[in-house]
Amino acid sequence: MRIHQYEKLWIVGAMILIVGFIVTITYGSVGLGITMIGDEEETIAPDELNDDEQFGEPRVEQVGENEYAAYVVAQTFIFQPDPIEIPANNEITFHVTSRDVIHGFYVPGTNINAMAIPGQVAELTVEFDEPGEHGLICHEYCGSGHHTMEGLIVVQPEDEFDLTELSAETPDTVTSGEQVQLNATVENGQLEPLETTVDAEIGDQTFQQNITVDGNSTQDVTFTAESTQLGVGEHDWTVTVDDYEETGSVEVVSNETAAAEGGEES
Amino acid sequence: MGSRVSREIGHDEYDPWGTLSLIVVYFVALTLMWLFTYFVEFVGNTPTVMGMIVPVMLG
Repeated sequence: MRIHQYEKLWIVGAMILIVGFIVTITYGSVGLGITMIGDEEETIAPDELNDDEQFGEPRVEQVGENEYAAYVVAQTFIFQPDPIEIPANNEITFHVTSRDVIHGFYVPGTNINAMAIPGQVAELTVEFDEPGEHGLICHEYCGSGHHTMEGLIVVQPEDEFDLTELSAETPDTVTSGEQVQLNATVENGQLEPLETTVDAEIGDQTFQQNITVDGNSTQDVTFTAESTQLGVGEHDWTVTVDDYEETGSVEVVSNETAAAEGGEES
Repeated sequence: MGSRVSREIGHDEYDPWGTLSLIVVYFVALTLMWLFTYFVEFVGNTPTVMGMIVPVMLG
């Protein structure tokens, strides 16, 4: 069979095109590591999410050096947690599931696009290079409030990101003469130990304490002020750790008032 | 009359350069569109879902 020269040319050209398509796809998956969201992930009963170790408390947690896991629950018509705070330049693996009906998990302008299916966990690993805020929307019709279903992904600079949580409390009232105790709890959700300073202020008295909180643990700090020095009345207190601040107030009541009320202190 | 205007040519004399140039244009358009959709619209649309293929190969 004789094939015309031009015909040979475009047969070869078509072959080169096909090989080129395959080479680019292979380069994308092997060289760049692009993948599709598979269906081989674990399953979970949607009505038992609250008892689940991971989805019971939707959150971001550190699972390795430069690796974080975000457990996201979609339900009518919100995403939990909201906002999802993650560090830039770290591998984030989203585990997304739904509590009720099928929802979408889509970050517009990116290739982050998954379905949140009740009973299934979609697992997708992404890395944000730049800090910034990204909207997160549901793009599977899920009910009358579908158009309002949105979340927020806040990508923080790597060196500013932490998983620190601060809580603090004092008694509501303290009898004059007794000590005012301010209990602060610092939680460090990251794997690295956290070295920081706790600043506290009760009325006009200031306190400072350096602490080291081990990875994935909490530490309690107690500050004590003499109520006689504060004087009778309401006093504001503030606890500050890095960028976190807790405030409240404590009332110092005089002995007579306390006695009249039965000397009660909480 | 037909015998005056018709001419028989050999296999290699046939030269459809118009068809060839159309196909070349078509192939170039295909290549450019492929590069655009894959590298600009898809890969450029970061972040992209990254997978286990590289770790599996490295590990």
